[in-house]
Amino acid sequence: MELFAHGIPFAQRPKVTVNEFMKTAEIAEPVIRNVKNENVIQIPFGLLGFEQVKNYVLLSHPHEQPFMWLRMLDDSKQGFLVVSPFQVMPDYEPDIATEDVEYLGLNDPSDALVVNIVTLRNGGGATINLKGPILINRHTLVGKQVIPNNAARFETRHPLPVS
Amino acid sequence: MLILSRKPGESIVIDGRITVKVVRVDGDTIKLGISAPSEVPVHRQEVYDEIQKNNREALTHNQLSVPRLATGGRPAASPPLSVPPPAAVNPIQPKVIAPATRS
Repeated sequence: MELFAHGIPFAQRPKVTVNEFMKTAEIAEPVIRNVKNENVIQIPFGLLGFEQVKNYVLLSHPHEQPFMWLRMLDDSKQGFLVVSPFQVMPDYEPDIATEDVEYLGLNDPSDALVVNIVTLRNGGGATINLKGPILINRHTLVGKQVIPNNAARFETRHPLPVS
Repeated sequence: MLILSRKPGESIVIDGRITVKVVRVDGDTIKLGISAPSEVPVHRQEVYDEIQKNNREALTHNQLSVPRLATGGRPAASPPLSVPPPAAVNPIQPKVIAPATRS
């Protein structure tokens, strides 16, 4: 029997090289444990403005934590710096639309890995986009950049305290 | 641009699968109900534009040096993510796009 995740056969998932696997195996956090050939994050709708790019690799290096990289699978030089919003804003509560919850197959908040895109600004500052979080189902590794129902409360350029 | 006149309760159909219905007209605010397949994302234009612009600015090369996060942020014990309970999906249920409330 062939398994399908949102119309995409698992067998067609891009394979990850051994090197990628070793890098990802170093991840302490976040808790994506089933890394073997499954650390490719599928974002079938793409990120807003990058709708054609549907496959990413989530990478975490110990010396860069809590920041992580959401790297394009097909262009290893391009990616987005991301961070768990709860690391920087413990009271962040995006109200996720029911259709997004159902699309991602989230039965419980703990099913979701939430990361937000960080922009490094000229002059050394950094901002985090709280308006468009990326939700990833930890089990299926399918993600989506969602716009929460309460997005009007959040900024796309929320200042991050970096040094 | 195709321009059509519609009254409250009337709809237009796009591509045989997307329906946009005028639910209510209240002063200068029009409430629209949009029925679309789940693979068709529907966004408010200004919010979409803002996030798209931010994503483009954020795209970068991996070799960048990553700053250190100043202390003060602490990890939450569990993500206080508000996820509504799964409900039965009615594919023809219109998504009502209410006017954005800005604080």
